[in-house]
Amino acid sequence: MTSSPAKRRKTDHSDGAVLSDAISAAVRQPTTFVLETAELLAESRFDYERSLEGVDELLRRLKTSIEAIETHEAIPINDAAKKLKKAHGVIVPFPEPGPPKDSNYKLAFSKPAAFNVVGSYVSRTMVKVQEDHAVDMIVVIPKEVLQEKDYLNLRYFYKRAYYAAKFAAALQIEFDGVADLTFESLNDNPLLPTVSLKPRKGDYRIRVIPCAPDGYFPKQKLGATAGLIRSGADDDKKAHAPTPFYNSTLKADGSYVPYLRVLKQAEKSCPAFKDACMLGRIWLRQRGFGGAMSRGGFGHFEWSVLMALLLQTGGRKETAALSPSLNPSQLFKATIQYLAATDFLKKPFILGSKEEGLEAIRESGPVIYDAPRQLNLAYKMSSSSGFLLQQFAKWTHALLNDKSVDQFAPTFITKVNQPALMFDLNASLDMPEDYAEATGSREKLWTFGNKVHNVLKRALGDRAKLVSVHTAGLPMWSPRDSQRLASDSTVSIGILFDPSNMSRTVDHGPPAEEKKEAEKFRRFWGEKSELRRFKDGSILETLIWTGSTPAELCEEIVRYILQLHLKIPTYSESLTFYTRGFASLVGKPTDAAAFAGARAAFETFEKDIRGLEDLPLHVRQLAPIAPELRNATIEPPAPGSPKHAPKPMDVVIFFEASGKWPDNLAAIQRAKIAFLLRIGTLLSEAKTNITTHLGLEDAQLETQNLAYLDVVYSNGVAFRLRIHSDLEEVLLDRRTKDKTLDQHLRTESATLLANFRRLYNHLPLHNQMIRTYTTRFPALSPTIRLLKRWFDSHKLSSHFPTDLIELLALHIFLAPHPWPQPSSPAVGFLRVLLFLAQWDWRSEPLVIDTSSYSNDASDETLSKVDASSAATRLEAWRNLDPAMNRVVLLVCTPGDPSGTSHTTLDGHPSPSKVVAARMTALARSATRVVREKGTAIGLPDAGRQLLFVPALSDFDILLHLNKKALKATSRVYEHDDPNDVEPHHSSGKFKNLDTRTGEMPLPLATHPARLLLNQLATTYAGPLVFFQGSEDDATIGAIWNPLVSRRSFRVNLLGNYKPVALAEGRKRKVESESESSGEEEDDLVEVDREAILAEVARIGGELVERIVVKGQ
Amino acid sequence: MPQLQSTLGDFSVLPISVPGVPAYPKSTVHHLYVRKNTPKIPTPDDDRSLFLTNVPVDSTHLHIRSLFTSLVGAGRFESVTFEDERKPSSQALADLLPAQAVRLATHAKKRKRADDEDAEHAREEELARLPPTWNRPLRKAGGTAVVVLADEKSVERVLKSVAKANKTGKYPVWGEGLPAQSTILGAKWLKAHIRLNFPDTDLVEAAVNQFFTVYNNREKEAAELAKRLRNEPDEDGFVTVTSGGGRTAPAKRAQAEEARRKMLEKAEKKREELSNFYRFQLRERKKEEEAELVKRFEEDRRRVDAMREKRGKFRPES
Repeated sequence: MTSSPAKRRKTDHSDGAVLSDAISAAVRQPTTFVLETAELLAESRFDYERSLEGVDELLRRLKTSIEAIETHEAIPINDAAKKLKKAHGVIVPFPEPGPPKDSNYKLAFSKPAAFNVVGSYVSRTMVKVQEDHAVDMIVVIPKEVLQEKDYLNLRYFYKRAYYAAKFAAALQIEFDGVADLTFESLNDNPLLPTVSLKPRKGDYRIRVIPCAPDGYFPKQKLGATAGLIRSGADDDKKAHAPTPFYNSTLKADGSYVPYLRVLKQAEKSCPAFKDACMLGRIWLRQRGFGGAMSRGGFGHFEWSVLMALLLQTGGRKETAALSPSLNPSQLFKATIQYLAATDFLKKPFILGSKEEGLEAIRESGPVIYDAPRQLNLAYKMSSSSGFLLQQFAKWTHALLNDKSVDQFAPTFITKVNQPALMFDLNASLDMPEDYAEATGSREKLWTFGNKVHNVLKRALGDRAKLVSVHTAGLPMWSPRDSQRLASDSTVSIGILFDPSNMSRTVDHGPPAEEKKEAEKFRRFWGEKSELRRFKDGSILETLIWTGSTPAELCEEIVRYILQLHLKIPTYSESLTFYTRGFASLVGKPTDAAAFAGARAAFETFEKDIRGLEDLPLHVRQLAPIAPELRNATIEPPAPGSPKHAPKPMDVVIFFEASGKWPDNLAAIQRAKIAFLLRIGTLLSEAKTNITTHLGLEDAQLETQNLAYLDVVYSNGVAFRLRIHSDLEEVLLDRRTKDKTLDQHLRTESATLLANFRRLYNHLPLHNQMIRTYTTRFPALSPTIRLLKRWFDSHKLSSHFPTDLIELLALHIFLAPHPWPQPSSPAVGFLRVLLFLAQWDWRSEPLVIDTSSYSNDASDETLSKVDASSAATRLEAWRNLDPAMNRVVLLVCTPGDPSGTSHTTLDGHPSPSKVVAARMTALARSATRVVREKGTAIGLPDAGRQLLFVPALSDFDILLHLNKKALKATSRVYEHDDPNDVEPHHSSGKFKNLDTRTGEMPLPLATHPARLLLNQLATTYAGPLVFFQGSEDDATIGAIWNPLVSRRSFRVNLLGNYKPVALAEGRKRKVESESESSGEEEDDLVEVDREAILAEVARIGGELVERIVVKGQ
Repeated sequence: MPQLQSTLGDFSVLPISVPGVPAYPKSTVHHLYVRKNTPKIPTPDDDRSLFLTNVPVDSTHLHIRSLFTSLVGAGRFESVTFEDERKPSSQALADLLPAQAVRLATHAKKRKRADDEDAEHAREEELARLPPTWNRPLRKAGGTAVVVLADEKSVERVLKSVAKANKTGKYPVWGEGLPAQSTILGAKWLKAHIRLNFPDTDLVEAAVNQFFTVYNNREKEAAELAKRLRNEPDEDGFVTVTSGGGRTAPAKRAQAEEARRKMLEKAEKKREELSNFYRFQLRERKKEEEAELVKRFEEDRRRVDAMREKRGKFRPES
């Protein structure tokens, strides 16, 4: 819109400063994220004054003592080392392989050329949460002790190690008792031993890093292709294998000062630079990245240099990619975008204009090449960590572009590198002891890990989205120890499945005609590869796998290929897989067929209903609302049999709109019964394989739904049919809003209306939604089932509507950030637990947002869930009902933006506040265990015992039910006389026995154990809270409600009470003869626990085996 | 053993000894609270009835009868009505009576319904009632009951013997001497419930038919009543004007709503056509947008502030 200057003036003078703030923030990006990052920065800022107190003084002392070291002339290397050991006990940390015994190579020591403090201490970009705070001081080795040819054969590194040892010798005297002295390999680079000084006071380290003078070694000789470790005497350059890592280390060792300059310049030109560096540091840290090679080789230093370079160059036509006027979060986002978009693994990513040819740059690993300083910034990265970094950047980038979700917490707060929560398959592999292949001076283990990565990546191909290989870091060692301790030689492997390919059992290779390709394929796969002819006439190299689940397939492939290429025995103990723990908890691969069978049965049922001719109204829709019909039950649906009562699946039927319904709620309910009876008669007349039973609901009111029709097929499949009447909703709605009615009648109508909407509107929609998403996300169904298993085993299920549990699982598929959607049940399940542990339901609604997935037109009818309106609604509820007696959890879905239909049953919040708090507590301790155990949680015993065994000791009372009696109770036949408990009716009992053999029992929607529980729970709603897992769970837990233990007496207290004074009076009588005190005490009563338990035992009869009271 | 406390407020405490069962072998004492019945709305039987509270959840008529028999001997107990049974059947009746009739009936304030008419309604309704699904309903924990005894004297005797039981420590025993089948709960009870869930269809059909007979009769009655009332002035001399005598069918209501919606749509359309027409509208809209922007910004800031107050929201997890 265009506006004239006059108009603009007018708006301008009415604005405040707030407006301009708001506009500047909102125009460029969502405000919340900017405000949140600002807050994060404020919170993370490191207090240098306090935490690093006295560090400057320490550095000065350090410098003085190093300067005071006595110089000496060149002496043979081995003599120098021996002398140092003799004088100070310090062993020179020569890199492997050490100098030969007979070496005539000479070492001298003279005063360092310069001292300089570098790194995040000077730039003030440390953050509080960093693992360790280190202050880096570089000490430049003077040129006069070096020779130009020192770049060859580790000679420079020998000298450097000797310098480090000399420093250590001097410092251990100077700081004896004040600080602890160790050697460490800088960034896990075995070539760079460094002296590390840890003051006994204070939580930081000072690293003294010897380094080469800036640009001392000719960089053109240190290109990626140059081979600088030359064995033997022959001088033929071509014969030497290239040593890119060695070369880059050498280059990097002389580049501290130039990079310091680059960073200083960036800080000066761009005010937001430092803050963006801190954001980068936090982002990397949450993903486990750091400068050390074991942590991916991409840390804060690399991040800030990359960003500094992007501020100078990297854009189109050599312009700067980033503008210095961006704010910190924009700089951060832009850098993430750069990392996400640049494929630095396939093609070297070059910053600035290069002079040398591409060959001198290209390496097998990732390359981020800084042309002016001729250094590959990513030289410490492996291809595994390169892929990982890129994936992280891509996921974060996708997240930052998705405006509908919370961007902040997944980006900066969540700990992302938790293998158990991230990878579908975790494994660990011990490096064989005899493995000796080490290339280019890297650690053996690193080389091994890299090889494992390459082999696995190729073998798994498009089955895996990501293959990550992680090795442990190098330990520190004391200067007096003769070389390093053996480090942990385990390689952790993490694999992320690609859902679309993970279940493939046959891999196709190249056709036989393409000889070269086929030969390559054959060489890689060995004997596994066989030629097969396919229906379309092609003859292909083929691999056949036998596993039945994605995890099994993957394990099979990994075991095979590691054996082939790395000689790891297939069933070696050194190779452990952490996936089996959860897989066995959710059924077999055949379950899919059972669910499909249930669905097919429903379709038959629908056809049968629609086929009825004499129905007074036309059937509009038949909607399933049973978890069996949305792939969401723990056990696959099973038909009934003479031994098992059929379990009916709920279905609601919608008829065309009609004016024939009576204008009275009670009459509508009766009309429905008549209707059901009619359908029943028609069905059993039309189909011989159908029997129908009209059942009565446990209704308290005449205006409630009173009856249902159970339709049982002779094959044991059963459905429970309820009728929808559109007039019912209108009448209920009218009654709820009718101001002339009594308040309690209106509340009652509101409850009935909510029940009605849940049953006939929300559950059908929910069923459809879950079914759609279980087909879209293959891991959703098993995740739901595993989650339900968890709720069951902790006896929470009786308080949670099954649809709510399904929504919780669905949520982490729709909003998986910062990870991608889970593609295995274990990952999905653990992430739901993490979500539950962190969900602050007291002040946050759960919004199930399907907007990013609904592209079909049918979804447009559903209103989009709006996070802010949900938050407003929750706030309103909390103001209205602060004790949470009516609403506890608020779960907004596209079908139900009001958020209560899945969390309230019959006007009561389910779960209640107490139970919801218990869920959170259980989820918290579960995530703590997962955090502690790491990937080992996937081991069969660990997963089951730690996460799925209930803490029965938490309950005050345990009711152990008799399983045998329960089973007998669950089978009731139509010929049974309901009153056969009366002796004069039982005369026909034995006659019935004959007729009932082979007969199907009556349908049973609620297991007797749950029936009993429901009766107990309604009877003792006040004093006791009962907990039960699955419906047939034979151990019921209960806790006394602490809020109602003692109160003053009145008529109609909920529960069984005994007079307090009575009990105390007795006691007093025993103790002394003194009279009872004040009169008002007399009216106090307390819950009569023993009497209640006796009642419970009488109600349960033979079903209750025993009642165990805590502490007795 | 003598008791210090044998009364609680105006209630006498009647301890009942309850023998243990295999699942909970401990024998316990249940406290029943008894007093003379003094309901807010007096009934002729008040003098000879007792009010009980905290009755055991598994109480039946037989239980209470045997309890009183053991207190004051046979022949003095007449009947017991539990709280859930005492629920006024008129509530269900009111629900059953067509809504309009109820409303009109309250209009005619002075209209007294003869007792036999009430009884007739209750009988009709009883026939229309669906079969129960529990053959032995549990009482509410801590619920009440009213016991009617033979005469006033019996009431005194009961209270006396309650006091005596307290003094001597000889408590009546719960369920003593009852025939076995009347105490049955547990598996058989649940089995019976499962069976009773599926009543005989003929029974249900009969109940439904009876219901609609009553329903139709009453609806007709109500319509007639409404018609009559239309011409009759009430006690203040006003004539109530009702619409057409018939009910407003929901279909008509739906039509009315539809019409309203259309009207609103039309108005909306007209309004939209005229927006952005005048310059002041543009200006106002712009102002609104700005205000919205400021509001959003403030909201965001508030949210971040709220997050800060909660610990850990800005601390990266470790």
